[in-house]
Amino acid sequence: MEKKLSSFTNSEDVVQDGKNKVAIYCVHCTSLILNPATGTYLSNIQFDLPTMTQKKNALTVQTDPVTECFRVDDMYHFENIGFSVQANDVQYLACADCEFGPVGWCKDKISFIALSRVRYEL
Amino acid sequence: MAKSYDYLFKLLLIGDSGVGKTCLLFRFSEDAFNSTFISTIGIDFKIRTIELDGKKIKLQIWDTAGQERFRTITTAYYRGAMGIMLVYDITNEKTFENIKNWIRNIEEHAAPDVQKMILGNKCDMNDKRVVTKDRGEQLALEYGIRFMETSAKASMNVEESFYILSRDIKAHIDKKMEGKNTSEGRNPPSVIRPTPDGGGGFKGNKPSWFSRCTVL
Repeated sequence: MEKKLSSFTNSEDVVQDGKNKVAIYCVHCTSLILNPATGTYLSNIQFDLPTMTQKKNALTVQTDPVTECFRVDDMYHFENIGFSVQANDVQYLACADCEFGPVGWCKDKISFIALSRVRYEL
Repeated sequence: MAKSYDYLFKLLLIGDSGVGKTCLLFRFSEDAFNSTFISTIGIDFKIRTIELDGKKIKLQIWDTAGQERFRTITTAYYRGAMGIMLVYDITNEKTFENIKNWIRNIEEHAAPDVQKMILGNKCDMNDKRVVTKDRGEQLALEYGIRFMETSAKASMNVEESFYILSRDIKAHIDKKMEGKNTSEGRNPPSVIRPTPDGGGGFKGNKPSWFSRCTVL
């Protein structure tokens, strides 16, 4: 059963009725993160998500600004996901199977998946 | 939104440092992604979804993430745990001997009816094996718990072991619920527990489990 997974290009392809239109997968492996229509689309988030790799000896954490996310209100709505140890008031989210990440973050029990850091079954 | 699962189990991985507990949680070990950011801060727990007998089960799996090195595995970590994987390394005698100490630790801190399973990991390294499969089976028999040899590296028996432990927990819960439904106020189900000295060994001058804990 070969799935066709596509990288993120624009939100119109992956959002329907304010939810994720299709299943969401890890960018690096084929781990299923979220089933369709499980996350709520948000377009006005402002969060600096650390990049996956960090330069050696850098004094500050390098980040990428994230504006588009899927919000997941209950961590058990994820199919497979890893939660990091708490750092800077948040827990970062990583793939449960290969630990690619961060794919998003969790604050006050609400999780956010960055649209640009996952793949889609399109 | 409707409830997206039927059961929710909290599982723990316990064992000495270096036995490969963290690797048991990689499904694609060959292909693990080396994210410097995530590996620096460390993973607290993972959520996995499996299906058993047509029921959707969410597993929340906690790895000690090196806490065992600092001997800080306490009641807080065990709270709510319904299943525990006791992991040793078949190429390291000490990690096997310490399983008894870990079981004692569990008896002290975890719920008495927590479901346990012993895993002899790294069974792909047969040439370096020092603990025979027989001894693993014998130990598990002593405590009346399940046993399996696994290889996280070769993805051998890893998923199977999580399914088996989950199936045991589900059966245990279903039985408990049944008991509640049929006869209210009945005594809790009896639990087979090992004798205080673990049914052999460690008689007399038993060392504290701390003193036997390997710091790697």
